[in-house]
Parts: sequence; structure tokens; C-alpha cells
Amino acid sequence: MKYCLAFLTLAFLTASTLSAQEIVAGLSSNSAAVGEPVQLVVTVRGARGADVPDNLSVNGLRINLAGRSTQFEMRNFKMSSTLTYTYIVVPQVEGDFTIPSFDVTIEGKTYRTQAMRLSVSGSARAPQMPSLPQYQVPSGPPGGSMPPPSSNDNARPYFAEMILSKKTAYVGEVVPVELRFYFHSRIGGQVGERPNFSGEGFTVQKFSNAVKREQVVDDTSYVVFTFQSAITAVKSGTLEIPAASLEARLNLPGNRPQGFDDFFSNLPIPQGMFNETQEVTIETKAQSLEVLPLPKEGRPDDFGGAVGKFTMDASVSPKKAEAGEPVTLTAKIAGRGNFDGMSAPTLTNDEGWRSYPPTDQFQANDAINFTGEKKFDFALVAREDQSATPGIRFSYFDPSSGKYETLVQAPLPVTAKAGSSAAGAPAPGPAPSQPQAGTTPPPVNPAATPDIAIMAGGSSSWQSLFFRKEFLIANACLALAWLALVIGFSLRNFSHSASGQRLARRRQARSALADLRSASPETFYAEVSRFLALRLNVPEDSVTEKITMSDLPDPVRAGVLALLEKHAEAKFAAGAAVPPSADERQEALAQLQQLDAACHEK
Amino acid sequence: MRNSLLLFLCAACFALPLRADVLADALVRYADGEFAQAAKLFEQALEFSAPRAAVFFELGRSQRQNGQDAAAALSFRRALILDPRFAPARAALEDTNADLAIPRTPPGWKQRVLDHVSLDALVLAGTVLLWIGAFLLAILVFRRAPARRLPLAFAILCLAFGCASLALSWICDPRISQRTDAIVLTTGGTNLLSAPADQSEKVARIPEGGLVKILSQRGRWFYGQTPAGQRGWLLTQGIVPVIPPA
Repeated sequence: MKYCLAFLTLAFLTASTLSAQEIVAGLSSNSAAVGEPVQLVVTVRGARGADVPDNLSVNGLRINLAGRSTQFEMRNFKMSSTLTYTYIVVPQVEGDFTIPSFDVTIEGKTYRTQAMRLSVSGSARAPQMPSLPQYQVPSGPPGGSMPPPSSNDNARPYFAEMILSKKTAYVGEVVPVELRFYFHSRIGGQVGERPNFSGEGFTVQKFSNAVKREQVVDDTSYVVFTFQSAITAVKSGTLEIPAASLEARLNLPGNRPQGFDDFFSNLPIPQGMFNETQEVTIETKAQSLEVLPLPKEGRPDDFGGAVGKFTMDASVSPKKAEAGEPVTLTAKIAGRGNFDGMSAPTLTNDEGWRSYPPTDQFQANDAINFTGEKKFDFALVAREDQSATPGIRFSYFDPSSGKYETLVQAPLPVTAKAGSSAAGAPAPGPAPSQPQAGTTPPPVNPAATPDIAIMAGGSSSWQSLFFRKEFLIANACLALAWLALVIGFSLRNFSHSASGQRLARRRQARSALADLRSASPETFYAEVSRFLALRLNVPEDSVTEKITMSDLPDPVRAGVLALLEKHAEAKFAAGAAVPPSADERQEALAQLQQLDAACHEK
Repeated sequence: MRNSLLLFLCAACFALPLRADVLADALVRYADGEFAQAAKLFEQALEFSAPRAAVFFELGRSQRQNGQDAAAALSFRRALILDPRFAPARAALEDTNADLAIPRTPPGWKQRVLDHVSLDALVLAGTVLLWIGAFLLAILVFRRAPARRLPLAFAILCLAFGCASLALSWICDPRISQRTDAIVLTTGGTNLLSAPADQSEKVARIPEGGLVKILSQRGRWFYGQTPAGQRGWLLTQGIVPVIPPA
């Protein structure tokens, strides 16, 4: 009893010392369609009460206060409180709106919220989830603690439901789905970050972050965690969607000691004193979806799997391109549908252009990638002088009308000169995706992958042609041939020159002198005469005269003249001529060598 | 000898389809969104065959999808070295550099030359002109033929144009001009220091995916120069040459 009183006193003391006051206001979404409600939540921390306006006046928006909730939390004997005021904002008309800042009075002190912007679209309105009953308090993120329950509450402590936006869909159509997990407002505990949800025959988008709010069901207040996602059926037929589940650790009511209630019934006993923590799995019910096949009738040839409702816009940049300079043709596909599964638009009238695989970029307008804008950038290089870009064609299936639609963009004016720089570049082909850094890369259409075999271009070696073996060998061969040509021509020219001829004669004379040694006795003197004619560069019949007139040393001249006389005898009196003896041959050779040496000295 | 020839032919027969299969598999993986696996397969294809600009481009795209922007920048650079006129690779490199916060370098006169003419064609044309001029000149000089002024002028022109083409090719060839370039793959970039010591003064910061010209190496340090002209020392770890070593 003493301990209980001490505990309560301490609790009241700490409750009076709340943390510093703080006001935060925010919209649950910055964009919405006409008629689609958005929450405006004002969170006041560190106060037990605040005065807020019941409604806000903004032309084109209806803003009414929907509810208020208070949450006290005690941690380590420190009490904190959070007041949450929730307004429902219903857009009346299309446009961009600014919700002005407004006054919030706390204990006589006035605070102002910040202004907020809301963009309202008229056409691209997402399918509406079934509307919720008026709820009260969104407070913290999942994982936060909740006040413990009272053990005498007979309402269901928790339950879950799955809400499909439609019961019939087409193959490839994105069907938004919402999972709601209800917890009795007096149950404390923690819930998992994401529900478990998967199955065969459909794909599931990643879940949005949970939205936490309060809702009254059958006169019982529940805290609701809502997760949004979307499923896409991949085959026709009745699709059985299994139950989704969420793990949670809850502080569920336990048994109080016997007689406890009687004794303390009139005292403010701290909640959760007799709770027990349990791991639970909360499951929704399974659902079914009737999936229709996409009709074959009327399917355009360029249909690339897009299912939804889209619009197309296009632009080109730059408007003027020099030879070989690429221009970028941008196609923007906006609306709602399966952006992940769509392939790039096709180009029409693209003769005279070389197009490259487009890059794409997706900007989602919601958390489940259901509405948004996908941008395709085509790089184009003119092969001929051009005054307009190719046209763009994009086909999709509209599930609301059950028909295929084709969006056509006429060619845009551009001035592009023909260039050759695209010669070695890849051939055109539709593109795989190229997402921005930091975003999840979207799946790539297999048919959109460029054929690598036709993308051959440029060199296939890291070595410059200058250093390649075959280039060096070919040039070395050419250099040798050129050198041979130059040497050949030089030798030819030298042989025709005076000094070249002199050299040739000297060489012949030496050859003749060498021949003399092996000449037969009968031809010895004839060979002597030939040698002299070559050596003196005169005809054989002028040799005697040349020797006589020369300034050779007398002994040499006399000896040579004697040899010439013997040659005349052998030539003109063959019978009387006597072949030279070995000594005479030696002596003759010695005299001729002296003559050769004497001529050389000159 | 015959057995060796047979073995070689068999290996060649198997190797070619194998390479084609790897590329096809890589493309399918890319299309299926398995970018990490696709990148590995493209690397495998490059490992066992001659480098090709298109394969490097695909590798870069896979790496980019896989969040490896600096590695993707390297692959796109390699694609552009092999084929300087590969416009998609250039656009992809610019995008990647923008994401890496690397300032855009405006195309210089060399790039403009490469945009208009094939480098190998320029080298071959220059070589042919050079040799035609050289042979013609030799013949005309040594033959001393009458009325040779016009042929002589033609030969000299051929020689001059050939030399000019070869010189231009040499200057513009990225395989020569970028042979010492390297790219920083270190996550978050690396510091350019004033001395080859960990505690030395910082000269500049080279971002991840940034380019640096390697001037020399001392142990685990490179002496390099940034495109802005700042020189200093940087650790060899995480610095990858743009042209792969032989």
C-alpha cells in the first residue's frame, strides 16, 4: 500500500513536469485528386490541451477538424504527452493550393503552424479505397508503444482486414490494395515494420510506410496501422490472394491477484501493472480477384505491356544540332498504371536518323508507384540533314474502357545536320532502363535489350595502332624496301660516274693481272696486251704509243715495251714465236706489277 | 603436330560459342534486372576475349544499375578509349559523372577531331601517304628525269600530309594520351597529399570516380596530377588505370 501511494505521487509529480511544448503540422500527402481526402495532422507535444480552429477556410478545399486524441507515455518515471488534432482536407477543384499557417493556443500562449502546399489533379485520380469511418489520432510510427489495456474490456484486442480496390482486373493491371491492422486502443506493444504478403500468380509492390491512426469500430476505439501496396496479376483466371499477416508483440491483459480489484477499485492503478507480453501474428482474410486476359482484338503492333491510363508529352533538345551532334527526344508518359512493366514508346518516321537506346526515369507521385511520370530520353543523330524529329507512338490498354488506346506525337521541329560520327556507334534499339542513383532500378524489358553483336565499333585493342606488331612489321618492310631502292639507285648512279668507271677499270685490270698467272704460254703475251689496254684505258693498238709517251720510269717502260714486242711477234709471226719460259713469265709479271704500282701512284 | 592442331581447332570451336553464350546470358540477366550478375558476366566475357567498346558500355550500365557509379564511370571511359565516337557511352559517362559530382570537362579540340574522323583510318591513311611520298621522292631524286617538278611537288605533299596525319593521330589517340590516366574507385574519394606520408599536408581531394594522371610510383604511393593541374601523392589502393595493364 505504501509503495503504491509513493508510486502514484511520483507519477503525478512527474506528469506536471512535461517536456517542452512543440507543434508540428503536416499533410499525409502533398498531392491528391479532386474528392480524394487528405489528412492534415497537428501534433502538439508537451501540453495537456490546445485551442485549434474547427475548420480552415481555403478556396477550393474543405478542411474540417475530424478528431483529437491524447497520448500519455511514461518512460523511466518521466511523463510525456502528445495531442493530435486531425483535419480532413477534401479538394473541391483542381489546382495548386497553399494551406496558410494558423494559430494554436496552448495555455494562453499562441503558436503558429507552418504553411503547407497541396497539389490537386483532376484527371489522374487514383481508385479510391473504401472510405474509413471517422478516425481520430495518428500518432507515432509503427514500433512505438501504446497504452496497455484494461483487463475488463471484452472487445476484440486486435484484428486485420485486406481491402482490394476492385474485384475484377486485367492481366498486368495494377490493383491498389490496403492492409489494415486494428489494435484495441488500450493495448500496448510493438508491431513489425512490414506485413508478410505474397502469393502465386501476382506480384506485389513494396509497401508504403505505415500510417497510424485511431478509429472507432463498434463503439470501441482502435489504433489502426494501414499499409498500402499494389498487386499485379500475371495470369488470367480467378486469383486467390492469400491472407496477409503482421507480427506484433503485445502487452495483453493478464490475471490480477484475487481480491485486488475489490481493494483498489477506487484508486487510479497504473495501467499495465498485470499485463503479459505475447508474440502474436495478426492475419487478414484471404481474398479473390477475377483476372481477365488482355483482349487480342484491336491490340496495336507497338503495344509494349502498358496497362492503365496515360497521357504523353514530348520535347526535343537542343533545337539545332551540328553534324554528328546528338539531339535528345524526350517522351513523358504520365498517368496511372504499371509503369514498371511498360516498355519504351516507338519512334515513327525515323528514316535518316540513327537512334540509340533510350534511358528512362520514373518519378512516382505516390508511395506505391501507381501514379507518376516516366520519362524516356532518345538520343538521335541525323544521318541526313533533318528539319523534324521522328514521331512517337505509345500504345496502352485502358482497363476502364476495356480497349487499347494509342497516343501519337507528331514530329517536332529541329534542325540537325547530317554527321558521320555515328558510324561506329550502336544500331538503334529499344532501351533497358537506366535509373537515377539512389533509386531502385526498374525491371528491364527483355525485348528492349540492344543487340550487342551489332554494337561493334572502334578498336579491339588497348594498344595504339602505332605499337601494334603487324603495323610495325609492315612499316619495317616498307622502310627496308625504300632503303634498298635508295641504295640501288645510288650504286647505279655511282657506276655511271667517272670515278666509278675508273674504279671499274682498275678492278678489271687487277683481274686481268691475276689471270696472267694462270694464262697458258700461248696466250700469255695477248693477256699482257689486254691488261695494259685496261690499265692504261686505251685500245690495245694504242698501248705501245701510250707507253712510249708515258713518263714511267725507264726500266719499267723498257721492260713493258719488250713485252709488247713479243706480243707482236706472237701475233704476227706465230710460227717464229717462242712461248715464254717460267723465268720470263715471272720477270714479265714483276714488270707489269711495277707499272701497275707506278700508275696507281700517279 | 596434328594432335596439337586438332586440339587448337576444338578449343576454338568451343571458345567462340562460349563467349557468345556468356554475352547472351549477361544481356538476359541485365534484362531480368540481375545487374550484379550481369556485370560479372560482362567482365567474364571481357576477360576471355578482345576488349570491345560495346561490352564495356554494357558493363558500365550494369554497374550503374547496381549502384557502382565509379566503376561504371571507368567502364564508360574504357568504352570511349576503344571507340572515341561512341556517343551513348559519352552521354552515360556525363550522367555518371554528374551523379558523382565530378565537374563536366568541355570537349577539347582533340575530341572534336575524333568526332569527325576514325583514328585508325587516320593512321592508315597517313602511313600510306607517307610511304607513297617517300618512294616517289626517292625515284624522282635518283632518276633525274626531265620535267619532274610537278611529280616532285606531289611527292612532297604526300610526305607532308602523311607526316601530319600520323602526328595528329599520335596526339589525339586516347590510348597514348591517356596511358597514364587512372580513376579513383575508393569510396568517398581520396586525398592528394604533399608528401608520400599519411600525415602530410592535403593538397586536394579527388572525388570517387575522379581522374588523376599518374606521373610516377614510389612503393604504395603514386605521384599524380589532377585535371586541374594540382600535383601530389596519393595511395595506390583504389586507384585503377583507365587502360588496363597488359
